[in-house]
Amino acid sequence: MLEVRGLETAYGSIRAIKGIDLAVPEGRIVCIIGANGAGKTTLLKTISGLLRPAAGTVTFLGEDITALSPAQLVRRGIVLVPEGRAILSRMTVLENLEMGAYQRRDGRVREDIEATMERFPVLKERRNLAGGSLSGGEQQMLAIGRALLAKPNLLLLDEPSLGLAPLIVSRVFRIIREINREGMTVLLVEQNVRQALKVSDYAYVLETGKIVHEGPSPELLDDPKIKESYLGGRRP
Amino acid sequence: MAVDWLNPYHLQVASFVLINTLLGVSIYVTLATGQLSLGNAGFMSIGAYTTAILTTRHGFPMPAGIVAGSVVAALAGIAVGIPSLRLTGVYLAIATLGFGEVVRVVFVNWESLTGGAVGIAAIPQMGRELLASLRDAGFAPESIGLRGNQFISLSVFLILFASTLCAIGFFFRLGSSRVGRAYAAVRMDERAAEAAGIDTTYYKVLAFTQGAMLSGFAGALFAHATSYISPADFTYHRAVEILVFAVFGGSEHLLGPVFGAMLLTALPELLRSVSDYRYIVYGILLIAMMVFRPQGLIDPPLVNRLAGKKAAGGGSRDAA
Repeated sequence: MLEVRGLETAYGSIRAIKGIDLAVPEGRIVCIIGANGAGKTTLLKTISGLLRPAAGTVTFLGEDITALSPAQLVRRGIVLVPEGRAILSRMTVLENLEMGAYQRRDGRVREDIEATMERFPVLKERRNLAGGSLSGGEQQMLAIGRALLAKPNLLLLDEPSLGLAPLIVSRVFRIIREINREGMTVLLVEQNVRQALKVSDYAYVLETGKIVHEGPSPELLDDPKIKESYLGGRRP
Repeated sequence: MAVDWLNPYHLQVASFVLINTLLGVSIYVTLATGQLSLGNAGFMSIGAYTTAILTTRHGFPMPAGIVAGSVVAALAGIAVGIPSLRLTGVYLAIATLGFGEVVRVVFVNWESLTGGAVGIAAIPQMGRELLASLRDAGFAPESIGLRGNQFISLSVFLILFASTLCAIGFFFRLGSSRVGRAYAAVRMDERAAEAAGIDTTYYKVLAFTQGAMLSGFAGALFAHATSYISPADFTYHRAVEILVFAVFGGSEHLLGPVFGAMLLTALPELLRSVSDYRYIVYGILLIAMMVFRPQGLIDPPLVNRLAGKKAAGGGSRDAA
């Protein structure tokens, strides 16, 4: 569904990602894991149009989308849940959800908002409260709910577990899997390697702007090298 | 049986209140997307000079001149707005302030077109024009108990009043429209707006252009209300004055700058004795506002309370 070839992005003269190839097949959860500063967020920002690549291409459903703006990508069905959630803090929960459907012209937005609130009952309870008054976990639900209201084909998630309590983290991941079972393709960027590998089908390991390892997630979960570097395992 | 209480002087003050109200709305429109533009005095002068030149030298009818003034100001707004996209906050304020000064200096020095520092006189005055055409049609203001100059001032006031009402109405509606929601989202968090699929570039330039157009419109009305303009009408002080409307009245609700403009324009006239110290009073007011009410006199919770609506958790529908 999404294909990235030879992607390079630079901040000035510093190349943050250096030639990345990856593919996200339809209906799957693909994750990109790596330590701080590995280039995960840069990669996701480049795919979602927030940054312009220095080289390489991004294709989505056969169409070259490399130089498109975020608004154009949303129209094509690629929606990003940004790092740190980016809630419109002074709009109500309901208004935040409405903003998610900003580009939709069909008349089914109301029903979809209701359905989203059924999925996240906490949002229904707090529908008239300001987005900024929600807890971190609730804000993450709101951010995901808002993204889903754009009716995406591909959901990009940037560190959904960031700054959340462990219990909430597993809830967020459960929701991601649920959404995926309903047919959503997901590209996930995570520092929480264990959870990311558990939830995803395929994983890429990013180190200093390059992919150093890739494979089906269950295999990576058992890989001694990954265990040692990312999962706190010991050399036998 | 002339209506003696209808004082042309008071009507003129009221007319300036209305022009400043339009300028207050114009700075609000750009602020609605989180951009602080101090270039509105410059756009105002572009609108004023455009119609002044077209009506005095090229025989344009006044309404066509006013429309042309607004359009030229809007085009200038696009031309300034697009490169300014890279700037935010105080840098944008400085750049737009600089733009206003550049425009003024151009008007001072381009003597063949603008009359230089002397300005342009004998611009058709809307009240006088209206009276002349009504007299041609056989109407005498005395028949409704008004002297000629009373009628002129009254008609200027009424034209401005109607224009201001339309502008406020338009931007009030805009606030609760699709565009207004996009503005509010861009102002609150550009990243979030972008993630929701809002074309932030488009809406920022649109808001900037709308502000410029409204300033140009106000400037064109100003030219035809006073019938004389010079670069001294559009100095740095004018830019700051417009800013003060928003800071004093409040920049989070449309009614803030409207109220600020009305109060701050009328106040020195009502208290003639302090009008020499106007800028001192401005300064003290601004400092007091920063300390006691940094969001300005009027903010969305206040409007909701006055309207008897319950505020929704700190945010509100018309907080555009």
